[in-house]
Amino acid sequence: MVLTVRVVIRGTGHTRRGVLGVAAATLGSSALAGCRIFDSGPDRPSAPDPLQPVLDEAVALAAAYDRAAAGQPGLAKRLTPLAADHRAHIAELTRVIGGTVRSAGASGASSGSPGPGTDAKVALAELRTAERSAQRTAATACRTAPAARAALVGSIAACRATHAEALR
Amino acid sequence: MTEEGPPVVYEQLIAALAAEEAAIYAYGVVGVHLPGNADRIQAQAAEQAHRDRRADLVAELSRVRASTPPAPAAYELPFPVTDRPSALKLAIHVEDGVAAAWRAVLPVTEDAGRTSALSALTDAAIRATRWRRTAGVTPLTLAFPGRPA
Repeated sequence: MVLTVRVVIRGTGHTRRGVLGVAAATLGSSALAGCRIFDSGPDRPSAPDPLQPVLDEAVALAAAYDRAAAGQPGLAKRLTPLAADHRAHIAELTRVIGGTVRSAGASGASSGSPGPGTDAKVALAELRTAERSAQRTAATACRTAPAARAALVGSIAACRATHAEALR
Repeated sequence: MTEEGPPVVYEQLIAALAAEEAAIYAYGVVGVHLPGNADRIQAQAAEQAHRDRRADLVAELSRVRASTPPAPAAYELPFPVTDRPSALKLAIHVEDGVAAAWRAVLPVTEDAGRTSALSALTDAAIRATRWRRTAGVTPLTLAFPGRPA
């Protein structure tokens, strides 16, 4: 583009001001084109919401508790209220993000969760590890969240920390 | 916390300070009614944690030269505390209140200030869960610690 402008100068003797005007106009239009291509194209899927990972983990954790309770009926009474907390988080996060809930299988956090036959102690330890990891995700999201979301995500981070404590 | 934060930050920090001071007072009452050694150690650790938070808050508020009202000499307890169950109930009540005060700091802070408030909220919520377990109260957790009921 710069080369083209120089050629124009030599060939036609345009004043500097005129050339700069052309250059500015050219830059302006390419910047607009850039906007269309990279920033706000209606066909391009929008970037995931920063709270999507927090929601995904809530979905995965709720499912992990269900599986653990199914595999260890003796733990069900202890685990059911914690799963209910995650379901409350899913409802709030879904409302705030304004999207739909993906299935639990989509998240890697559920892959190592306990299933039938797992020892109760192991099941609790695995859930505790998952809660701690999910707490870190929520804490990180809280630090960078806009003011309107900070309290909600902060409460979710704190709740996950209390789950890790309740599983001890 | 920013050097020249808006007044609303100070208001919430002063509210957090008031909650921490109330907690310190309450643990004095709680400790008297806990006969067991383990309970008492748990209460002493909690009280110390609130003293540390208070010291941090006083330092922060003095750094930004926000004036802080003096702590009341005594508080009206939300219910009579006469034995171990009511003492444990007060401990849970106090930690829930501290969690609420710190939760309100989150939207008005950024960066280090928010990190510190989240840490205070989380610690209070964990202590509330420990007290619920000690007291045999279920469920042990709240879905949204610090959120107004």
